[in-house]
Amino acid sequence: MESIAFGIGITALAGALATVAGAAENVESDIGSQGDPNSQVQLAPQMGFLHRIFNKAIAGEPPAYGLWICLGAGVAWALMAMQINPVLALVLGSALAVFIQGVYATTAYLGRTASLAKFGQPVFVDVLKSMTTVTMAHAFVAIFTTVTMCHLINAALGHPFPLPLLGLVWGIALGAAGSATGNPFYGKERQYQSQKFGAGVPISASGNIVRYAEAGERNSLDNGWFSAKLGGPASGLCFGLIVFLEIWRTVLFEHMGAGWGAIIVGVIIILIFMVIDRYIEVWARKNYGPYAKPTEEGS
Amino acid sequence: MSAVGAKPQAGGAMDVPATIGGIILLLVIIGATYFLVGPGLMFMALIGIIIGGLAIAFGVHFVPVGGAPAAMGQAPGIATGVAMLAAGAGLAGLFGGAWAAEQGLVVAVVTGAVGGGLMMAITCMFVTFIYVFGMGIPCASGKVAKDPITGDTQAEFKSQGTEGHGLPFVSYVGGVIGGLLGGGGGTLIYIMLLDVYKETLPGMMKALPAQILPIAVSLAGIFAVGMFLVNAVLTAYNITGTIEGPHDPKFKRFPRALVASAVASALCGMVAILIVAM
Amino acid sequence: MTVKVEVIEGGVPHNTILAAGLIASLVLIYLSYANAMSGTQLFSFFGGLGAVAALIWGSHAIKHLCSYGIGTGVPSAGMIAFGSGVIAMLFATKYGIATPIVAVVLAAIIGAILGFLSNNVLNMRIPVMIQSLIELAIVGALVLIGLTAMMTGSFEFSPLMSGTVSVLGLSLPSYQASFIGGCLIAVVFFLGAIAIQHPFNACLGPNWTQDRMLMLAAECGFLSMIAVSVMSLALINIVAAVVSLIVSLVGWYYTYTRYIELSKRDAAGWLDSKPIPDVEGH
Repeated sequence: MESIAFGIGITALAGALATVAGAAENVESDIGSQGDPNSQVQLAPQMGFLHRIFNKAIAGEPPAYGLWICLGAGVAWALMAMQINPVLALVLGSALAVFIQGVYATTAYLGRTASLAKFGQPVFVDVLKSMTTVTMAHAFVAIFTTVTMCHLINAALGHPFPLPLLGLVWGIALGAAGSATGNPFYGKERQYQSQKFGAGVPISASGNIVRYAEAGERNSLDNGWFSAKLGGPASGLCFGLIVFLEIWRTVLFEHMGAGWGAIIVGVIIILIFMVIDRYIEVWARKNYGPYAKPTEEGS
Repeated sequence: MSAVGAKPQAGGAMDVPATIGGIILLLVIIGATYFLVGPGLMFMALIGIIIGGLAIAFGVHFVPVGGAPAAMGQAPGIATGVAMLAAGAGLAGLFGGAWAAEQGLVVAVVTGAVGGGLMMAITCMFVTFIYVFGMGIPCASGKVAKDPITGDTQAEFKSQGTEGHGLPFVSYVGGVIGGLLGGGGGTLIYIMLLDVYKETLPGMMKALPAQILPIAVSLAGIFAVGMFLVNAVLTAYNITGTIEGPHDPKFKRFPRALVASAVASALCGMVAILIVAM
Repeated sequence: MTVKVEVIEGGVPHNTILAAGLIASLVLIYLSYANAMSGTQLFSFFGGLGAVAALIWGSHAIKHLCSYGIGTGVPSAGMIAFGSGVIAMLFATKYGIATPIVAVVLAAIIGAILGFLSNNVLNMRIPVMIQSLIELAIVGALVLIGLTAMMTGSFEFSPLMSGTVSVLGLSLPSYQASFIGGCLIAVVFFLGAIAIQHPFNACLGPNWTQDRMLMLAAECGFLSMIAVSVMSLALINIVAAVVSLIVSLVGWYYTYTRYIELSKRDAAGWLDSKPIPDVEGH
């Protein structure tokens, strides 16, 4: 019984760390503008809309976060193998990973902007200097919490994978969950804030992102402020639930039915989420109603 | 400013001679492995790896991916890349499956499948949540008039100037199925390789089984990740970027991805097994 | 992708970069074998330099492939390169001093088959697909061997599996505290996979210039070397690790500052705290 109580305690801690990680990951990728919404930041100058948004083109979020977290975990593992205190090792590992992430961010911005010289998009050195440190700070939170979570899973719960491999697995999962949940909110709601609420962006408006906004010329910190209101917490909750439910069903039910207990609980949870999703979909159809006929603008 | 040598569109057609060539190559690889290692654990492992690769490739076709337009509410699906979203779900499943490895093959693979499906179920639900409550946009598909599972009509819920948005229920179910198959396939590859390495590495390195277990786990793990990525990228090439789910016409292209994945998995599996066999 | 890709105009031809990259990488990786011959671990950093040479070649191979309109994103090319490269590399480590050669040959075979599958079975019909996938698989294998040699001092099978752990002041052999046992190969895998696709992905655009992209490739390589040298502190002796770290830092600093200069040369403007410039009609 005690081992189950201990297991549940670690599970809860891992879930909490994962929630923070998901939120920080999403805000970081929105401040840096990474992933699919970044294609609009890239497209805008080509349509004549110059801007002061940070253009961080480092692959997508899953592979990028796979690297930062695997790297943080690898350095932490190496430091722990040298008998350095685990907490210090986790901090130093995350710090080195963040340094590398910051350098990649700067080279991405410089490279993409210099290659858009034909359209007159200049490199804004003050954007480079101010955004990079902010995105590094959010990345540090995301990396540190995830690497700590992996360390707990390995050391306290006894998962067979070594720390770097766990870091890789959860890094890619973090990027996938955070990007799936947070990208549409940043892309549609914030980048295209001037479009009508309640409808997708029409293809004719591609590239016309908001560049002048409530605080003068919009920059990426404004975008981070916005996405931290819903996109960030939603991503955090998403990743936190993924980690928590995955470990919870294993720790509690693995011993029942020779392993089938955890499987049945997993299937039940999938069905519960399916019902919730269907309910939300039907709610939207009923409460928002259909759009008007194509000849009229409506929502 | 256009790309040089613009290739003809990768159509949905199947190149029959090349496909037959691929199947022959697959049989050659299987035959060579049988010749080199004989029947037994290692040969069964190769068959298991091929099945795992097929599951991954088939599963990736189910996952709804909208790419850059989805991030603007212009296309249905999830706004991430195909290969990496599938990798995220499959690896989350592999995590669970590896944990259950000592409970037997069937339990571990099903646990891995459920882990992958669970990740996709939660992620897709949050995607719908954001679209509906954060952006005020209902779900609509651009490829079919009525949702095949629920019968909901789609056209009037599609905003003007877009190809649809969000995750209609059939896309949601597709995502979960994709996660199930991806997680199960990845775990199967991992368990097959783990069994081979646990069996042969003690003899090869002259050490106790308990001592070399970390090596076996890590080798099997990194091979599983590598093969997962190769299969997912090949399938992404087949899909050419975006797909709405199992109802999308592009879904019908899956047979050629199955052939390609079988050959790729067989080849990589053969090399992975020969590390300890030769 | 919403950005159209330019054809390679001028600059060093791709096949020259191919030949130079392959030869330089193999030579530098073999220089790290001096470790085994001299019994020290000081020459480990040559493996990292070999990886840098391979990365420069690999980034140009991705550029060569993607200029034909691949249809999906650039990062997938890096993933498939390293996914096939890791399998070739781990198999090749059994062959002692012939490891790099065996890895190149095996990676070429795997790359050729993957290229055939993509081009013909999956109907992608890109003219340079098979050649590019062969090149990328070889680059993947070479980068993995180079960074592995830098981290552990060797690229042969047994040293990768063995490490030491200190118990009560005594050093005992342990499989768990080794390069493979701790799965540090996963870190090297992803360091390389992101580093190979980043130069082309980051310099994507109508004003792509070859020297800027290749300088960025070298910078990514040295940056990866910094991370690897820190991790090597656990696996090789401290003097060798510090030598690696110094070489990496010097190389990174030089390539990073040169890259910034080249970006300044190419950019439309280099403004500090200025408003968005006006463009006609918007």
